[in-house]
Amino acid sequence: MTPFRLQIITPEKTVFDGETEQVIVRTTVGDVGILKGHEPYCAALGIGQMRIMKDGEFRRAATSGGIIKVSKEMTTILVQTCEWSDEIDVERASAAKAAAEERIKAAKSDKDLLLADAKLKRALNRIDTSNFK
Amino acid sequence: MKAIKRRIRSVGSTRQITKAMELVASSKLRKAKSRAEQARPYFNELYKTMCEIASANTDFSTIYTIKREVKHKLFIVVAGDRGLAGGYNSNILKMAAAAHKDDAEKPKIIAIGKKAGEYFAKRDYDVVASYANIAEDIKPNTAQDIADIAINMFANGEVDEVYVFYTMFVSSMSQQPESMRVLPMDTVQLEDYGTMEYDPSPEAVFNRIVPRFTASLIQCAVVESYASEQGARRTAMENATDNADAMTENLSLLYNRARQASITTEIIDIVSGASAQE
Repeated sequence: MTPFRLQIITPEKTVFDGETEQVIVRTTVGDVGILKGHEPYCAALGIGQMRIMKDGEFRRAATSGGIIKVSKEMTTILVQTCEWSDEIDVERASAAKAAAEERIKAAKSDKDLLLADAKLKRALNRIDTSNFK
Repeated sequence: MKAIKRRIRSVGSTRQITKAMELVASSKLRKAKSRAEQARPYFNELYKTMCEIASANTDFSTIYTIKREVKHKLFIVVAGDRGLAGGYNSNILKMAAAAHKDDAEKPKIIAIGKKAGEYFAKRDYDVVASYANIAEDIKPNTAQDIADIAINMFANGEVDEVYVFYTMFVSSMSQQPESMRVLPMDTVQLEDYGTMEYDPSPEAVFNRIVPRFTASLIQCAVVESYASEQGARRTAMENATDNADAMTENLSLLYNRARQASITTEIIDIVSGASAQE
């Protein structure tokens, strides 16, 4: 497959800037795969896994919320957080999961519940992603 | 003479402190500068995307871009956690105070930095939220929390405009207090935006970006202000160190003169005593 340029940027730093052969991201409406020559496209991303192919192999990362933008020159992924599967701190993710479950039980308002639920989803996503190494 | 000697010693120990603070500030400044630079691409790219959406879809509108009659305002003010940074804290706080002096009502405040919190709490402002000690190592999640508060208040109609007050880092020597309107948003009409397919719709993507963008803007404002704070502190401490050096020099001169004078008197005493015995 022909490689194309990809940039992954978070509020803290540029996580990735280089060539890739294929990107698969979880948008709010489902998984979308991008290959070279994709038409200009822009979508919002939810909490989920992102896969980028390099030399025929997928590298996975856990991402939370953002957008993907495909233009002729390059593809840009802007996400709140992006952690590669081999960089995830599983212990911390498990602790976050437990804390989120506590908060769901203790939640008094819908807003609390929503926040705790998002927290739990992020933790589960991290744990899931870390299983692929 | 003893008094002068004591002064010299006390100025010397103050100098040690200011010198140490200067060195700490310059090393923190280096780190803060690189953080500020790394935060920028995300912000720029989000802003560009929003402008593209707004440019390509002229008929679209969301609550985040519509201007309403302004009755209530929200100020997000970024100041430092500590003093001894020259005019850094007072400049930005004065600017925020001056910005609403013609308004009928005091703005609501989100204070970032201990100094900002203290300032507005003392002056009977409605402080919605106050954050201290977050500037040095602000996480995207914290910025998102702050942004969510502001966006909720705007969406509920509690406030009609949201401003951010921060200090722009021009260079290590110069920092500029600035204000910026966050909501409702201004988008620039781009000349060259191309056609793009938005999934599921331009409005949906735009509305998803708004909270991220606001958070990123706050993150940038905080990181930038923090770099400014360190720059201001370094300059202030550098001046203080220089002043201490000048003072020590003057005091030593005084001390030496006094010492010489006392020796001279002593010699005159001895000589006149000896000549009296002859």
